[in-house]
Amino acid sequence: MQNELRSKAKELLQNGEVKAVIGYESGSVPFKSTPLFAETPEEADKLIWNPTCVNNLALYLPQIKSMGKVAVVVKPCEARNVVELIKEHQIDRENIVVLAVSCAGIMKFDALKEIGLKEIKSIDWKGSDIAVETSGGQVVIEREKALLDKCLSCDIVEPVLFDAMIGKAVQRQSAKVSTIAEEYEKLSPSERRAFWAKQFERCIRCYACRQACSGCYCKECFVDKPSQTWVSKRTDAEANWFFHVGRMMHTAGRCTGCGECERACPMNIPLSLMTKQICRDVKEMFGNEAGMDAESSPILGSFNAQDPDPCPE
Amino acid sequence: MSEETRVETIEAEPKAWEPKIIGFLCNWCTYAGADLAGSSRLKYPANLRVVRVPCSGRVDPQFVLKAFERGYDGVLVSGCHPGDCHYSKGNFYARRRLMLLQRFLDYMGIEPERFHFDWISAAEGQKFAEVVTEFTEQVRKTGPFPGVGDQSQKVE
Repeated sequence: MQNELRSKAKELLQNGEVKAVIGYESGSVPFKSTPLFAETPEEADKLIWNPTCVNNLALYLPQIKSMGKVAVVVKPCEARNVVELIKEHQIDRENIVVLAVSCAGIMKFDALKEIGLKEIKSIDWKGSDIAVETSGGQVVIEREKALLDKCLSCDIVEPVLFDAMIGKAVQRQSAKVSTIAEEYEKLSPSERRAFWAKQFERCIRCYACRQACSGCYCKECFVDKPSQTWVSKRTDAEANWFFHVGRMMHTAGRCTGCGECERACPMNIPLSLMTKQICRDVKEMFGNEAGMDAESSPILGSFNAQDPDPCPE
Repeated sequence: MSEETRVETIEAEPKAWEPKIIGFLCNWCTYAGADLAGSSRLKYPANLRVVRVPCSGRVDPQFVLKAFERGYDGVLVSGCHPGDCHYSKGNFYARRRLMLLQRFLDYMGIEPERFHFDWISAAEGQKFAEVVTEFTEQVRKTGPFPGVGDQSQKVE
C-alpha cells in the first residue's frame, strides 16, 4: 500500500498536476511519524503509510492555499474535515486532490511504551491487529490494546470524498465505548464543574489544541484579539474554561471528533470528552454530522423550521 | 430609634442571597414585551439585569459563557417567536446555536435550570412577567452559582 501511495504521488508530481503532496514521513524515532510536504518526485519516496501516521493533514490545506493545487493523504475519517473546509469555502475543491488511504486504525503511542519494545524495525497492520517487527522477531499487539479510542469505535469504511483510493476499504469490527466518558456521565452537575475546574487548572494555554484543529482556521482567534478582550490572558481555571468552552462552541457543527486537539495537548486534558459530546448533540438535534454530506450547508450556518424549539407549541 | 441601635439592627440581619440574572432581550419583541409589562404595572422580580440586543441572533454563545464565568446565577435569552423575526430569520440561527449551548452547558455541569431561552413577543407583557418570575424562582431553588473556576473549597 505504501508503494502504491508513493507511485501515485510521484505520478501526480511528475506530470505537474500538483505542486505538493502532503503525507507522512518517518520521524526521528521509528514509531513516530511526521507530516511531509513532498514537492519533487524524489521526495515522494519518503512517503510512508503505517499505523503510526496519526496527524490529521487536512489542517494544512487552508494554510497552503497560495501554493496552488496540492494532493493530500487522508484517512477515511479525515475526508470529513476536507469536506467541511470545502463547504465553508476555506479551500477550493478544484485545487485539492484527495488521496484516501485505507485504514484499519491508528495506534496509540503509549501501546508501544507499555510493552517496552526496543529496536523496532517496522510497524504495520496484520488483519485488524498491529504487527511490530523487532530485532527479536514479530510481536502482535491486539487491536483493543493498540488502537486509539476513536479508531476502536470508528465505523467509517468509505471516505466521503476522494479522488483516488489507495488500498481497499477495511471493514470494521464492533464499537467500544470509552470508559472515561461513561464515568463522567455519572457525575452530578457540581462534580462535573469540579472535574473541569481541575482539568482546566492545568491548561497552560499553549493553544496547541487550536493549532492542531482543522476547524480552527480563523485568521484571528477570539483569544488573540488585542481589543475586545473576551478572555483574560491569565491561565486560571475561569479563563481557561472560557477559552475551551468557547472554542467548542466555535467548532460545533464542523468538529468531526478527529481527536487532534486532545492528542496535541501537552497537559493531557481530556478534550475528547467535550468534542464527542458536541458531535453527538449536533447529530441528535439537527440530524446531521459534520463533513458527512458535501452538498448540505454548514450545520450552524443554516436552520430548519422543524429544529428543536425551547418552547414548542 | 437612636443612630446606634439602627446600625446594630442592620448588621444583625445577614443580607439574604438574591439570584443575579442577566437577560439578553431582542429589541423588537421581548424588550418591547418588557416595556409593556412595565407600563401595564405588572410585578416581576428585580433580579433581572436587561441587556438590549438588536436580535436574538445577535446573542453569541460567548455572551452566555461570559455571564457564567463572571458568576451570574442565571442567564435568560429571549426574542421574537420563530417566523416573526424583524430580520426574518435571525431567531432561527439563534435557536440552533442556543439550544446546542444549553445542552452543552448541561453536559459541562451548569444546571439547565440556570439558562432559559424563550420566545416573548411585544404583545406578551403578561408572559414576560411570568417568565421572569418563574425563572427567578427556578434559579433561586438551584442556589448560588459557585463559578466555573476553583471549586476545591466550595464543592466536595
